[in-house]
Amino acid sequence: MADKIKLFVNGVEVEVEAGKNLIDAVGAVGIEIPHLCYHPALGADGNCRMCLVGIEDGRPPLVPACKTPAQEGMKVLLDAEHIKKIQHDVMEFELINHPTDCPVCDQAGECKLQDYYMSYDHAKSRMNVPQVVKGKKMDFGAGVVHDQERCVVCGRCVRFCRQITKTGELGIINRTDDARVNIFPGRPLANRYAINVVDLCPVGAMTSKDFRFKQRVWFLKKAPGICHGCSKGCNITIDHNREKYKDDIIYRFRPRLNEQVNGYFMCDEGRLSYKKENEGRLTEARLGTKVRPIDDVLAACSKEMEQAAKIAILLSPNCSLEQMVTVQALAEKIGAALSGYSEGYIKTGDGDDYLIQDDKSANRAGLNLLGIDSSKEGFEKAVQEASLLLNFNNDLTLSYQENELTKLLKDTKIVAVAAAANQCTAMADMAIPVASFSEYAGTLINCDNILQHFAKAITKNEDLADICTIAARLGSPLQNDNERYSVLQKCISALKEFGVDQIPAEGLNLKKSEAANVTA
Amino acid sequence: MSDRSQLISTGKPFQFDKERDAEFERLIKRYPTRESMILPALWLIQEQEGWISQEAMAYAADRIGTFASKVYEAATFYTMYNLHPMGKNHICVCRTLSCWLRGKQEIVDYLKNEIGIQPGQISDDGKFSLEEVECLGHCGSAPVVQVNGEFHENMDVDKLKSLLATLK
Repeated sequence: MADKIKLFVNGVEVEVEAGKNLIDAVGAVGIEIPHLCYHPALGADGNCRMCLVGIEDGRPPLVPACKTPAQEGMKVLLDAEHIKKIQHDVMEFELINHPTDCPVCDQAGECKLQDYYMSYDHAKSRMNVPQVVKGKKMDFGAGVVHDQERCVVCGRCVRFCRQITKTGELGIINRTDDARVNIFPGRPLANRYAINVVDLCPVGAMTSKDFRFKQRVWFLKKAPGICHGCSKGCNITIDHNREKYKDDIIYRFRPRLNEQVNGYFMCDEGRLSYKKENEGRLTEARLGTKVRPIDDVLAACSKEMEQAAKIAILLSPNCSLEQMVTVQALAEKIGAALSGYSEGYIKTGDGDDYLIQDDKSANRAGLNLLGIDSSKEGFEKAVQEASLLLNFNNDLTLSYQENELTKLLKDTKIVAVAAAANQCTAMADMAIPVASFSEYAGTLINCDNILQHFAKAITKNEDLADICTIAARLGSPLQNDNERYSVLQKCISALKEFGVDQIPAEGLNLKKSEAANVTA
Repeated sequence: MSDRSQLISTGKPFQFDKERDAEFERLIKRYPTRESMILPALWLIQEQEGWISQEAMAYAADRIGTFASKVYEAATFYTMYNLHPMGKNHICVCRTLSCWLRGKQEIVDYLKNEIGIQPGQISDDGKFSLEEVECLGHCGSAPVVQVNGEFHENMDVDKLKSLLATLK
């Protein structure tokens, strides 16, 4: 726990964390100091002047809060008339050349300029000269569209590209009221984190080509989740909405702060992976070539399982720990060979030293922790010996060429329990649709051995069962969440002190707590 | 101020000539970081070509090893960098206080008539370009006219006449 210090804001004593600047320190206890250019991940820049506050200790009349460390006994003044005037004046400056096209702007509803205008300015424009004309809908590449007129030149996007991705595509061109953000001609945004500038932009200058004009943000429901795009497990906010007469649809993923995992950002690939939750899903249960109710297919599947001499079960490395233990218990009970073979999920050389990982599966660490074999030999041996393969959402087409796969599985009956419709489900004798990760709750272990729990975010009109339920109906002894969780607690000693809903929001670092257990 | 963000592309790759290449390598040793070379490199380009093209900016960025956006920022921030071709003789008349008080307007008016262009323009034959610039730092000998980087102090219309004659 960080040290606490006491200071005064508008004469009221508050206790805040030491070692932070004023914006973050008093922001953490719910007192907002308005700011445009400061962002905790990018550091203080001090260019917007919106965070000017008074410190009553004989300093210059006003200091930028973003550059002022919180100190014991500091007397911070936020609501004095001269500070309100500064905030009002800064807002007036920012709005001089702002097009105020909020009705057609995607940022409306989550725009700092809009919010601050309502809180700190609220005055009519005094402008009677033409505004400076700048570039509109400029394609900056990587799915980012820029509107120079809406820009407040806070430089967050520029600093992001220079400090975080170190690609430096953006710059602030010209000076004075002609200053604008631009790319160098012919050198567009070309990094795999580019869409983060859309989140960083406090106004509607940076918009995502993918999201713009799709939804007004105030209609979106926000649910926390974890990205399943790779083994990093970036924390995300799932923005979704059920329009009248329609199904609940995800419109975007946004990174959610978790200092331990992803910080403030996420990669573009993961961000756009929400599309897989909406499209290309397996929706109907199929028996042979016929679409049948899911109960019928499950019954047929159980029958096959009874008759089969030897069964092989394949798990996806994206499955949650709960799903893995449920399927593992099923495999033990029926004496099936269990494999987590998923070599194709690893794209060697694709990762970087920031967030993107080579391993495109969300829970390989969990697979290994539960001791599930994921060798190629193990899987192929199991399949060759078995007459029935139960495939729990593992996309084998990633690991095998099509002809290899047909050859390998030619004598095996396949039951595909899958969220997405693909070649694997097409070649299966039975297909059972299941929920995808936004539609169930679960626990994952990421590449850094951090265990994270996520809740169910989306409820579809026709809600699909998740793999736990399917495995339970096929005979797994683990019939409910409590039973699954107690198995998990047995496997992972660090979980013993936490109940089902008590896993810390920032995740549980297994490496650290294992080490702690040893020393204790 | 005006928008200087529209760069002109020559369609040809840029390269320092031998002399400027040597100068670049000489200067780069002076500074603690390579990025410090952005402004001197832009000067070298302007010296060589008379103006700075998109290709030249990209060349400077790659040569220095910095982001092209940083070179772009610097080149558009400082108005002394010409971002489009200038006349063969680029005439700058100082318009800041001392020169203004000591009669820069007569000089500008004379040049406007004689060459037939407004400040900021280039003559049709490409021989002259005229610009009014901020303080050139020779206030003690105002008014000052700078032709192709060379200073001419205590200027008046008579002196300008003979100066122009040498340029034509």
